[in-house]
Amino acid sequence: MKTFTSFIKVFSVVTVIILLQGCGPARETKVKMFPGIYDESPRSILILPPINLSTAANAKEYYSTTIQEPLAYKGYYVHPYEVTSEILKQEGIYDAELLANVPLSKFKEYFGADAVLFTTIKKWDIKYLIIGGNLTIQIEAQLKSTKTDQELWRYTGTVVVDLGGGNSGGGVAGLIAKAIVTAVNTAIVDYVPHARRANYFAMHSMPVGNYHERFRKDHGDQIVIQAPPKE
Amino acid sequence: MKKITVILTTLVIISLYGCGPNRMYHYGDYSSTLYDYRKDSNGENLARHISEMESIVAESKEEGKRVPPGLYGEMGYMYMKTNKKGKAVEYFNLEKTLYPESRVLMDRMIKSTSDES
Repeated sequence: MKTFTSFIKVFSVVTVIILLQGCGPARETKVKMFPGIYDESPRSILILPPINLSTAANAKEYYSTTIQEPLAYKGYYVHPYEVTSEILKQEGIYDAELLANVPLSKFKEYFGADAVLFTTIKKWDIKYLIIGGNLTIQIEAQLKSTKTDQELWRYTGTVVVDLGGGNSGGGVAGLIAKAIVTAVNTAIVDYVPHARRANYFAMHSMPVGNYHERFRKDHGDQIVIQAPPKE
Repeated sequence: MKKITVILTTLVIISLYGCGPNRMYHYGDYSSTLYDYRKDSNGENLARHISEMESIVAESKEEGKRVPPGLYGEMGYMYMKTNKKGKAVEYFNLEKTLYPESRVLMDRMIKSTSDES
């Protein structure tokens, strides 16, 4: 009997935990969030040169090496970025900002792309604190149709990394040691793996394409609704 | 008895391997050699990136996986840059055959290799 009561106790605690988790961020199915992409089923995506709103001058060059892979894994044909970005450069387009008034049908015509991916690097920086620091990368991604110019998908991925290096303790000497550790950490910090994680957070919400085994099977997948972007 | 344990352990290890992430593509070190090439676009980094892409193609075939989208196209473009036009056209055609979505761009690239000569 005693084991039975303790079983009941455990059971009710578990139930409460499960119920509480239901109160997390608001969720919605992929098909309700992004109906356009299911209507059009684009097969191929052209990645446009990222728009860099951060203060890091080289963020664009480095970030753009991280986009092809996750998009391919989502099941889309991705036009080779090394080729397409070079062609766009020759046309004087270094930056997707310069494309604001270009009809997207041009990309269908010239490259054969069904959709284009705009990416904006919103944050790519390290904030130094007295001891320690934070690295923040925030990427906003938006997929647009070359057929209808409509937005098919949009999501933001953010990654914050604590560079503090833990508490080494030990009074003033400890503080100095910590400051040195932090300086060393930030000097060798490589943004790219964190940018990959930011992409992962953003792209998990994207409905999959025709090369993916779950193509046309992910309508009902739940994703977290993000607050509208603050401009 | 010992023998049986060894056999069982081996079987368990083999079956566990089968549960590993079986990813759609083999990307090798693609993004890191590309990153190095972006950081410093010298001939050595270009050669390393091209040879990495060549081994991705070989290993994808070995693993029975489809070569990642755009890879043949990028290789064709790199061969074009290093003045191997015959190879460039060969790879643009490989991309077109594997991924019909690439046709428009690949035809354009093939045409531009013949324009230049």
